[in-house]
Amino acid sequence: MSKKKKHFSLLLTTLLTVSLALSACGGDSKNNAGGEAASGGNKAAESTEKPVELIWYTIGPPQKDMDKVLTEVNKYTLEKINATLDIKMLDFGDYTQKMQVMAASGEPMDILFTSSWAFDYVQNARKGAFLQLDDLLKNQGKGIVDTIDPAFLEGSKVDGHNYAIPANKELPAQEVFRFNKELLDKYKLDLTSVKTMADLEPLLKTIKENEPGVTPYAMVKDFMPIMPFDYVIEKMPMAVYMDTKDYKVINILETPEIKEALKTVRKFYQAGYISPEVATTSSVDDLYKAGKWFTDRASTQPMADNLWSVSYGYPVVSTPASQPYIYNWSVMGSMQAISANSEYPEKAMEFLNLLNTDPVLRNMIDSGIEGVHYEKISDNMIKNLPDAKNYDMPTFSLGNIMINYLNEGDPENKWEEFKKFNDAGINAPLLGFNFDTSKVTNEIAAVQNVKEEFWAPLMTGSVDSEEYLTKANEKLKAAGLDKIIAEAQSQIDAWKAANNK
Amino acid sequence: MSANANPVKSRDFHRLSSVWNIIFNCIAGGFALLCIFPFLFVVLISFTDEGALARDGYQLIPAKWSLEAYKYVFGSGDTLLRSYGVTIAVTVIGTLVSLIIISLYAYAISRKSFKYRNFFAFFAFFTMLFNGGLVPTYIVVTQMLGLKDTIWALVLPLAVNAFYIMILRTFYITSVPDALIESAKIDGAGEFRTFLGIVLPLSLPGLATIGLFSTLGYWNDWFNALLYIDNPNLVPLQSMLMRIETSMQFIMQNSQNSSLSLEALRNMPQDTSRMAMVVLATGPIIFAYPFFQRYFIQGLTVGAVKE
Amino acid sequence: MGKIGKSAKDVLKNKVLLFMVLPGTLWFLFFSYLPMVGTVIAFKEYRFSRDGFWASIINSKWVGWDNFKFLFSTNDAYLITRNTLLYNIAFIVLGLILSVLLAVVLSEIANKKLAKLYQTGMFLPYFLSWVVVGYFAFSFLSSERGLLNAMFGSNISWYSESKYWPFIIIFVFLWKAVGYNSVVYLAAIMGIDKSLYEAAMIDGASKFQQIRGITLPMLKPIITIMTLLAIGKIFYADFGLFYQVPRDSGTLYSVTNVIDTYVYRGLKTTGEIGMSTAAGLYQSVVGFVLVLTSNYIVRKFDKDSALF
Repeated sequence: MSKKKKHFSLLLTTLLTVSLALSACGGDSKNNAGGEAASGGNKAAESTEKPVELIWYTIGPPQKDMDKVLTEVNKYTLEKINATLDIKMLDFGDYTQKMQVMAASGEPMDILFTSSWAFDYVQNARKGAFLQLDDLLKNQGKGIVDTIDPAFLEGSKVDGHNYAIPANKELPAQEVFRFNKELLDKYKLDLTSVKTMADLEPLLKTIKENEPGVTPYAMVKDFMPIMPFDYVIEKMPMAVYMDTKDYKVINILETPEIKEALKTVRKFYQAGYISPEVATTSSVDDLYKAGKWFTDRASTQPMADNLWSVSYGYPVVSTPASQPYIYNWSVMGSMQAISANSEYPEKAMEFLNLLNTDPVLRNMIDSGIEGVHYEKISDNMIKNLPDAKNYDMPTFSLGNIMINYLNEGDPENKWEEFKKFNDAGINAPLLGFNFDTSKVTNEIAAVQNVKEEFWAPLMTGSVDSEEYLTKANEKLKAAGLDKIIAEAQSQIDAWKAANNK
Repeated sequence: MSANANPVKSRDFHRLSSVWNIIFNCIAGGFALLCIFPFLFVVLISFTDEGALARDGYQLIPAKWSLEAYKYVFGSGDTLLRSYGVTIAVTVIGTLVSLIIISLYAYAISRKSFKYRNFFAFFAFFTMLFNGGLVPTYIVVTQMLGLKDTIWALVLPLAVNAFYIMILRTFYITSVPDALIESAKIDGAGEFRTFLGIVLPLSLPGLATIGLFSTLGYWNDWFNALLYIDNPNLVPLQSMLMRIETSMQFIMQNSQNSSLSLEALRNMPQDTSRMAMVVLATGPIIFAYPFFQRYFIQGLTVGAVKE
Repeated sequence: MGKIGKSAKDVLKNKVLLFMVLPGTLWFLFFSYLPMVGTVIAFKEYRFSRDGFWASIINSKWVGWDNFKFLFSTNDAYLITRNTLLYNIAFIVLGLILSVLLAVVLSEIANKKLAKLYQTGMFLPYFLSWVVVGYFAFSFLSSERGLLNAMFGSNISWYSESKYWPFIIIFVFLWKAVGYNSVVYLAAIMGIDKSLYEAAMIDGASKFQQIRGITLPMLKPIITIMTLLAIGKIFYADFGLFYQVPRDSGTLYSVTNVIDTYVYRGLKTTGEIGMSTAAGLYQSVVGFVLVLTSNYIVRKFDKDSALF
């Protein structure tokens, strides 16, 4: 037995020595590389001799014609900024996980996609995955500052600094009630009176009585009634009122508003307007495809009705369900950051600047090669060619969308509409505040579990709201919600004081 | 029907009575049916028309047949055939490599005369429970071994598995009597000759089991490719299908994100395509199964080796 | 001096066998032991460093046992531990009984063609991912369109009644795993020396006496090993089984929340790898202690069947 132990400890010692040696080597070589890179970068700035290759990880399915397009793109960027690109696409479902591993392991990369919904921006900025961009923006990124809506850069600051360049796109988030127009017309239902969820009642009743095969209200488990709150963390119960003056953080499950709203949802549920299995339904795609729904709620953007109608194959109309508010998460919907270990941060910023201001480059990356993937039908309008399926990039993820060509069928004033939509946006109270969770991670883990237990059944009306609200609040308190609220409050107070709110 | 009535036809001289044979058939057959049924369903759905599926739900006899799902899957990559190629290559190479390493390791620690057998058994077992997690492994594979974007990044991380070693060691111990090895030793055979000439042939069912598990492990692996492969030409089948599947789920979960859902919904594969993917991914490996299976069902003619 | 000489002699004497374990040992060193150094993250608040992972580890702040607290400090701690343990015990016991039973049954079926067919069938569930299995479960259990409610004319909303779920979870697990696991036992039966049965036949032993007297005792070592290995994983739960199959239904958490799902849900917003590493370490250490204990007990009775 003692011999075994000795063997084992010997082994462990060897291992530790080896790994330490390795880590030391790794560190050294990295440092050297960094040093060289820095001087190399300077050299490049002095004489334009050696072009730089930028590694760019972005989200979306890999494209067959990527290499073809890259050849063209590189010709252009080489001429413009003396740099070439290596674009690596990671599909939507893989992106977060793979980027987390790669960023943590120090994989070489220069530019990377980040957002509030994939490879979380605030979290990773705080952990040090991204380079702080304040100075780069002033020097190499002037074009960006001049071009995109200032609210984007302002709203995406983390602890007062910018760590990524948001794409210039729709700024606020607005909820709408959508309707299956065929049913609307069939029963001559009137939309003008629909302002809140409760107003839907008579319409739903008509559909329920006359269309047995149709789900009147298509709802999924993520549903939440529209409430006058701005959340400290999305889908967690800590929030402030939209019209708050004192920025007091509250538990939304204790407010009279939620009780009222849940009564309506519960009523709908019991009346059979909502699927009885809504609390476990993550997609109602089959309803959309078969046209067997009457209404639902979705977040909108200009001209969304057209897009919906085209993708479903039958007309869809909508009416506003909320004000267009500018939230942290809506500002951070699509961003490109520069990796903390980038060897060419200045070049990367130069490239991002070009991407967000130069229509030629932006359109090439978005739509491919003229004559192969698309053809121009007027100055600023293009038509897809059959090969477009080999190069079909997610437009919204690649920087400023408002310098893109219009697609065949788009209205001439599309981007003006976007600007109008953005101007109408109202700042949510916590815009620019990002909660630092590091002091309450344990409580958040516990609260998150309690929340998930109660949230979907409550919000979809699947359970009695009175009874379950009490239960949920008891468990949330026991899990440490009050501590999170207190921490959020003190951070918000400090932020408020610092920003003269 | 007793065994004596039919002694030539089967080596299996210890037959059950016919009543029990029927009962055993019912147990095994019933369970097999329970397992096959959903799979048949998968095949049926994959040939169902998407619209009919949305309207009627899952049906045993679909109202409308369709090949759309397969067209979609094949259309989403002429890479599909290449992915099959990668998967087959990885599976064959990987199974061979892992059988060699595992069978040697397991043999050594099965030998009572091996002084360090307990140490090495523990050395292997310990890795079943403790691992360093994703990031350190990623660094070892990509930065130290430099395997990123090579086929070895798909082969090596799965090559050894302490679980298999422990099982195989038990097979060696139980199916090869010590006396046999000792007598081979006395005849002057070295460890290697004993291993190859006596131990391996006697442990074929065990080796086949490990071979099968390892084949399936390689065939079904998608995670290593997700981590280590950026080059689209080296993506194996499961990984490609998994990518489509997870991305589809991801997009559905983020449907409140208007720009994402509006862009991505256009290209969304549907339930039928998902089932077509299962069929395409599982089909070929089912045919590889009988290759291993004969060792589980028929047993060995042990006598030949022993005498 | 003499000691070293003896050690060298030992090594020399075992050189062929040592050579045999060499490839495996190298593999374990690179793919298992080296990455294990990263486990220190469990005691750190991990922050990225420009200079890569090792530098990040060194520069990150020590936080002691803080990363482990979330596993113990809440009211759910008892629940998730209980669920994980009880389910795994049920899986180990029932899985073992059924796999061995099936293996014996398959080995005794007279028609080998049929036996092969059955066995192939039993293997199919292994190929279905949990997502797909979840779909099937739903097609049976959906309260609106589900097969079960339609068959019995009942109106049970399966996904909100927690009392049924321990049975459903165990059933689905067995359905998926038993075919796969029975291969090991079947192979072990095939490895049994046929002359043992011949001798028993001559003594006039009935079929069932043979099973009890020969087959099961011969299976004992492999059963022991499989059980010991399963005990090591007793604090781990198959995420897909407990997340996808119950469709993440909140009302079922009291019987479906296990350590793995708890960690997943808890770290969704904060994404601390220190905390997930801590959870993994906790699961491993408990499993390790349990295996060592059971192995110790097994050694007392049957030295050859023990792991080491």
